Amino acid sequence: MNVLNGKIAAIETNGSLSIIEIQIGSIFFKTILIETPNSVSYLKEENEVKVIFKETEVVIGKGTEHVVSLQNKITGTINDIEKGALLSKLRIKTSVGIITSIITTSSVLKLDLNVNETVTAMIKTNEIMLSQ
Amino acid sequence: MTHISVQKKLLAADGEMQLNVNITLEQGKLTAIYGPSGAGKTSLLRIIAGLLKADKGSIIVNQKTWLDSSKNIFLKPQERKVGFVFQEYALFPNMTVQENLLFALDKGQNKKNVDDLIAITELENLKNRKPENLSGGQKQRVALARALVRKPDVLMLDEPLSSLDLSMRNKLQDYILKVHKEYNLTTVLISHEVGEIVKMSDTVIILEKGEVVKQGKPFDVFTNKQISGKFQFTGDIINIQKEDIIYVVTILIGISFVKVVAEENEIIDLNIGDTVMVASKAFNPIFQKIK
Repeated sequence: MNVLNGKIAAIETNGSLSIIEIQIGSIFFKTILIETPNSVSYLKEENEVKVIFKETEVVIGKGTEHVVSLQNKITGTINDIEKGALLSKLRIKTSVGIITSIITTSSVLKLDLNVNETVTAMIKTNEIMLSQ
Repeated sequence: MTHISVQKKLLAADGEMQLNVNITLEQGKLTAIYGPSGAGKTSLLRIIAGLLKADKGSIIVNQKTWLDSSKNIFLKPQERKVGFVFQEYALFPNMTVQENLLFALDKGQNKKNVDDLIAITELENLKNRKPENLSGGQKQRVALARALVRKPDVLMLDEPLSSLDLSMRNKLQDYILKVHKEYNLTTVLISHEVGEIVKMSDTVIILEKGEVVKQGKPFDVFTNKQISGKFQFTGDIINIQKEDIIYVVTILIGISFVKVVAEENEIIDLNIGDTVMVASKAFNPIFQKIK
């Protein structure tokens, strides 16, 4: 799993759902949780949290500009690619550290992804977990 | 309601240890005691049963005082209504199943009690057999029935299932829960299995070096509330298999197997047999109505 250290920047709550904005270095990620500041104590602005997401939930876009609904985006360069028969593991060097993505090998071939190339790693809002 | 407040100096592997426990057991509830070997779990049960004398304290079971060191009250083990099941079967080898149960009856107690227990633990077909002709699981079922013959106020189970294989253990757990509910017992279970505790108990008490370090609902005690994933379970790793560039980890959760995909870095510290928390977000699972 990918684990990044961040700080809670903003909390928007409606009923028992909250959208939390987290600052990680110079970028911002958002996540939706079935929690509120009343249900768990660590949901407080300025609090340090761990931002957790699975490698298999990291979407890869070639280049930097994409018209997509995903709000969590970070650009970086491909550090290394481990190609398997069906799946491949990409490690992307970003301003907040290495982010690992597991996508199909056929996508790696179709997008012609290579080491040192600039890519955007994207994660859906509902795929990000927080932990203290 | 059972109030237990006892102190006793015990000799542990690494020197003297003070057992200092202050707990309340509710009627009809199953309380599990969890903790490392030598934490004082078995000693606590033996003190409740009267097999070991506390240095100080009181035990009050349904308003009856079993122990009160300040008033010099100490009921003998046979005067305390407790049922005990241990890891070893401890049945009389020369007696049949039925005779083993009848032997446990108090003088003048109705024999129908034994018939009821044979029925509820489904021992009819085995009641004329001797212990040597029973499997491990069957022997434990007899031991459980025998512990209930005298209608105990407190049923104490000291790792009764740890020598049984997985499927037998599951069946026995169901029998224990069945009699626990049927007889509205106050049950105390010592167990090392987190899955078993989560399945069976209402409350868990974690004992370390003679002290209660944590207590509460098993799910709250064993799961990490500080992670936001709402799809959280505790299970044991059964298998770790490399597939392509990823790993597939098989985890036994309750009686279900689940598979989780993991990356190399995640499995470095994981071994088969480890207990893990599995978490996912509430947004991912789907339903299919089956009934």
